[in-house]
Amino acid sequence: MQLSMRGLVPAHLVQQLAGRPSQVWNTEVSLPSGACVFVQAPSGRGKTTLIHMLYGLRTGYTGAISFGDLKMDQLSDDRLSALRAKELSVIFQDMRLFPSLTALENIEVKRALTNTVTAEEVQAWLAQLGIGHKAHATAATLSYGEQQRVAIIRALVQPFAWLLMDEPFSHLDVANRQLAIDLIKSVAQRRNAGLFLTDLDANNYFPYTHTFLM
Amino acid sequence: MRRSSILNRLLLLHTGRARLWTALAVLAAGTFLLLLSVLAWSDFDLLIKGGEGNGTESYIVIGKQITERNMGSASANAFSAAEISEVRHAPQVLDAGEITPALFPVYAEVGGQLPLQTELPLASVPDRFLDAVPSDWNWQPGNPNLPVVLAARFLDIYNYVFAPGQGLPQLSRGSVQAIGMRMKVGSDPSVQVFSAHISGFSDRVGSVLVPQSFITYGNSRFAASAGPVRVMQLILRVADPSDPQFVTWLQQHGYTTEPQGLQWSRMRAIVQSVAAATGGLAVLLMVAGALIFMLFIELSVTRSRSSLVLLHQLGYSRRYLVGFMVRRFLPRVAGSLLLALVGTVFVQAVVSSRLAAAQLHLPALPGAVVWAAFVLCSVLVSAAVYRAIVRSVAAAEA
Repeated sequence: MQLSMRGLVPAHLVQQLAGRPSQVWNTEVSLPSGACVFVQAPSGRGKTTLIHMLYGLRTGYTGAISFGDLKMDQLSDDRLSALRAKELSVIFQDMRLFPSLTALENIEVKRALTNTVTAEEVQAWLAQLGIGHKAHATAATLSYGEQQRVAIIRALVQPFAWLLMDEPFSHLDVANRQLAIDLIKSVAQRRNAGLFLTDLDANNYFPYTHTFLM
Repeated sequence: MRRSSILNRLLLLHTGRARLWTALAVLAAGTFLLLLSVLAWSDFDLLIKGGEGNGTESYIVIGKQITERNMGSASANAFSAAEISEVRHAPQVLDAGEITPALFPVYAEVGGQLPLQTELPLASVPDRFLDAVPSDWNWQPGNPNLPVVLAARFLDIYNYVFAPGQGLPQLSRGSVQAIGMRMKVGSDPSVQVFSAHISGFSDRVGSVLVPQSFITYGNSRFAASAGPVRVMQLILRVADPSDPQFVTWLQQHGYTTEPQGLQWSRMRAIVQSVAAATGGLAVLLMVAGALIFMLFIELSVTRSRSSLVLLHQLGYSRRYLVGFMVRRFLPRVAGSLLLALVGTVFVQAVVSSRLAAAQLHLPALPGAVVWAAFVLCSVLVSAAVYRAIVRSVAAAEA
């Protein structure tokens, strides 16, 4: 599923972006399916805004985003929900877990939407990322690092053509980050999915095919 | 681990159970009262209109009101042919018959152990207006035997007022029918004597009735003055004497009748007032219940707003979330409404069995109107609850 961005300018960043060169904003970007994309920018340049626009959470912008034939600003709620459930997954920078649910329940809420991953696989992934013992702890009691790993697994338990990641390893140490990267790589490879990652600094977490400075 | 139980915890656990049960109880009470008022109205309607052997019609005797102005004028107080025709077309009137008075004197003597002598006010009505037509109810000129139908209240007056005071025996209907009477008709020199006997009793007409052929014969033969027979009273067969239109029509024309003939009208007015007042209160209560329930839904959604928003972000469509909440709330609403219906059915069963003892027959189950009211209430409340859920879910993301 090809991802296209055409002349994107978020309404709240119009003045901030004026006269400033960007490889993402107010330009045309076309990404083939299965691409591995990295967008680098310091704080305040709109990385989270871009992820939210791509995921359909934010609508205040000019320009157009499309996944294949689907134009994001023309989708019905049902179609957008189906897109989020089956074709587009996301790891939010702020994790966005249900604090009252356990780690496993947080993942189950997403897994039950499509049942593409078994409960056993989820347990295995929790163990793989070193939080198997926290499966039944409520999200509110988990550290940021643990929450981030739960959020990563939650993003992987659905079918997806693109995985959007907004500073996905910001709370992880090097060892845990590598475990997470390995898991994401293997699942994305299995699904022939594209990866779209934003972060502050240059990195080689994934074998990027496209790199942009915001 | 079931998804629905997780969603339940996310979306519905923030709400107080006490609030939920209060809202449902108010809703059930309002619906119950509403159905009861409809039930009272429909049962009363059924009773007065006749269903299931409650007597479909009533017989009423009407006459013109005698006032100081018209009391001297017999002709003014009689019904003209035009007036009789108009009566036949009055609201609720199915049939009208003339009560033809005897224009000749009648003197009756009872012999044996019952030494009674009295003048009698004879009259006749068309046979179809008799309570029951006696088997010997016919008379032809030359026949010395005359059947009589006595107003039942005459026997009551004799038994309870006259006989005790005079030291006379009280008489059953059967024994009265066995007593013969010597009836002297006309005045000297034209007098004829008949052997009369009581063939039956009437609750409808307060006179001594004889066959019409006898009155026709007597009026032509023994009348003191020649002239047309003036009809002073009419007997009406009325479909629903409680109909306010009929009562108003009587009043507008200055016609009087016995008060008990119109008792259903007063009772209907009372029942309708009570049913309307109860119905009004019930509607208020039901609306209050539905509003409380809708506020409860909005409160629930508001409290679980962050969960609702995140679920939507994770791929749960609004349609799914609305459906989930509808599946949780509507069964509870349906339970409340069904409870009200069960209560109403129970009340009908109790009322039906109690009234059966008074020879008033009602069906054991509520009538179609009550079921229709229940369906209407259910549809309206369900639609209101559904709308509240849709609006609340949409507002949560706004």
